[in-house]
Amino acid sequence: MTTVQTQLHWEDVKEGDKIPGYTLDLTWTKMVEQVSGSQDFYEVHHDPDFAREAGHEEIFYNTGFTQAALCRLLTDWMGKEGWIQNFSFQMRRMNIPEDHVQVKGVVTGTQVREDGKGAVTVDLWLENDRIGITTPAEATILLPLRES
Amino acid sequence: MSDQLDKSYDIEVIKAQWIGKKTEKTTGRYPVEYDPIRRHCHMVEDTNPLFLDPDAGKNSQYGSVIAPPVMAGYFAGSGPWPQKAKTDALANVPTRGERKINMNIDWEYLIPVRIGDQLSSQRELVDIFEKPIKLDPKAVWLVTETRITNQNDDVVAVGRNTLLTHRTPEQVSADLQK
Repeated sequence: MTTVQTQLHWEDVKEGDKIPGYTLDLTWTKMVEQVSGSQDFYEVHHDPDFAREAGHEEIFYNTGFTQAALCRLLTDWMGKEGWIQNFSFQMRRMNIPEDHVQVKGVVTGTQVREDGKGAVTVDLWLENDRIGITTPAEATILLPLRES
Repeated sequence: MSDQLDKSYDIEVIKAQWIGKKTEKTTGRYPVEYDPIRRHCHMVEDTNPLFLDPDAGKNSQYGSVIAPPVMAGYFAGSGPWPQKAKTDALANVPTRGERKINMNIDWEYLIPVRIGDQLSSQRELVDIFEKPIKLDPKAVWLVTETRITNQNDDVVAVGRNTLLTHRTPEQVSADLQK
């Protein structure tokens, strides 16, 4: 577990760079933390009988947890002067109890915009050891420039 | 959802009646607070001092602890308890099934959310359509756009959410046997 607090600058980043990732083990304690942290009490995220009756294999981790995990990858990486401008993700497959989830990312582009800000686009995702990538995501972050 | 409604369900009629409808602008129950941020960070083992350490926040460019950007929607809401009276104009958009899954979420973040900010939100239904999924050949998808503002009426974030609604396997099976 990180958290990175060295400041990343736009000039430090190039297309293809991997973003340092991290792992979350979805224990039953983590399931409880998910409900506490998100305050999402929809039963499909904590009641196995309810989830199975709806046709799901198991309870699955909720949107609040998922976006928090993805967001952390970015905020750990970009440092205190970075800013997430755009962030989108797709809940394609599910992360369920006992999964080992890895949060990963890669830089897909860099650009100094007309307003002088250093923009970096990234692909990021959640994957687990059971079915692979579950939650693809994209983001644009703004980083400080060394020369500014 | 009742059998009667399922038989009469017409997506084009629903589109005409519901697309463009907005909720009232509502204000979060409480200002932005430390402890919900701490719980949020706990679930993903986030130790970022910008979110957790008042001293670090005070000495940052923000001048205080800020919330992780993905928490804007949380603080613009009222939480699950105590329950508020249902005044959500989009709570009853007709769908076939009552089971729900968030699918695509897209946010633009414009300004930071600081401790003490008071956030408000307003949602608009921008699309509704049918698209089959493995669980339900008549699944209904809802797309909403949310604008979150702060106490100065500055736009903090704009989000677009695609929600899948579906029936249980038993409901699908019953429908197919009609």
